Amino acid sequence: MASPPDSDAALIARALVQDDRHAFAELVRRHQSSVRACLRKLTAGNHALADDLAQETFVLAWRHLKSFRQEARFSTWLYRIATNCWLADARKRKEELLGDAGGDGDDEAMAAALGEATPDHARGSALKMDLERAMAALSEGERAAIVQCYHNDLSHEEAAYVLGMPIGTVKTHILRGKQKLKLALAAWAPQP
Amino acid sequence: MTADTSPDPREPDDWVEQALRREAREHRDEYLDDAGFTARVMAALPAAMEIVPRWRRPAVAAIWVAAAAGMALALPGVALDVGREAFRLLATHPLSLPQVGVTLAALGVGTWVAAAWTLQRD
Repeated sequence: MASPPDSDAALIARALVQDDRHAFAELVRRHQSSVRACLRKLTAGNHALADDLAQETFVLAWRHLKSFRQEARFSTWLYRIATNCWLADARKRKEELLGDAGGDGDDEAMAAALGEATPDHARGSALKMDLERAMAALSEGERAAIVQCYHNDLSHEEAAYVLGMPIGTVKTHILRGKQKLKLALAAWAPQP
Repeated sequence: MTADTSPDPREPDDWVEQALRREAREHRDEYLDDAGFTARVMAALPAAMEIVPRWRRPAVAAIWVAAAAGMALALPGVALDVGREAFRLLATHPLSLPQVGVTLAALGVGTWVAAAWTLQRD
């Protein structure tokens, strides 16, 4: 009979106490899909960038494993590192682009999303595409809050931990994000 | 953020909620194949630190102490003579305060460099 798989806590203990890299590799294998998928959402579908950030996330997790206090689930802790990596990268890119592009990038992106949302596509995949485009036009905080609460299925408390912000701010980001999505996807709204 | 985009919780937005939930469900059900990702992460980890056995440092210190004691015993009087001559040299040589300061600073820098080098090696 096969033995039950080790828990995350047991693998973390082995990685910490015995410097067991096989245990850490098992943790990476176990969580790579959710972390990469989360980053794909945050990077608006940029798979290469998402994988680079996911790799950075796990390397940082290995380096700071000692500081993981089990106050949250290991996956939640990974989401926190991944979100911080993404935010740092997004800020760096924004700074690089600042000299080139004038005006408010968010507003321009949202305007593009508004203009391109049409109900003429095949409904299912088209709505998905428009939703992705509209998500990409949200502010970093709004997008991150929606990704954590909807895509990663975290509670507001867990999302607040991941994003390092008060619960009230998370709720505000979600409300504002949904308002913007509603505007951007107005063409998809059911007719009264 | 402008006043136009401020949320109004009373406004029904169920269809956006539904779209987000549906999309999230599909996203959660989707499993991304590892495709060498774990191997890349493991290759990118910093090199493993050499694990130093606990007994090694006390053993090294004991060997140095034994060697020093052995030399002192093998050459009786030499250590005493060296110490006495060093004291005489210092006592008879007129030293100014800046010289003492420079000497102490040089000793401090030397100690710090040695400690840093040892820690870096460990």
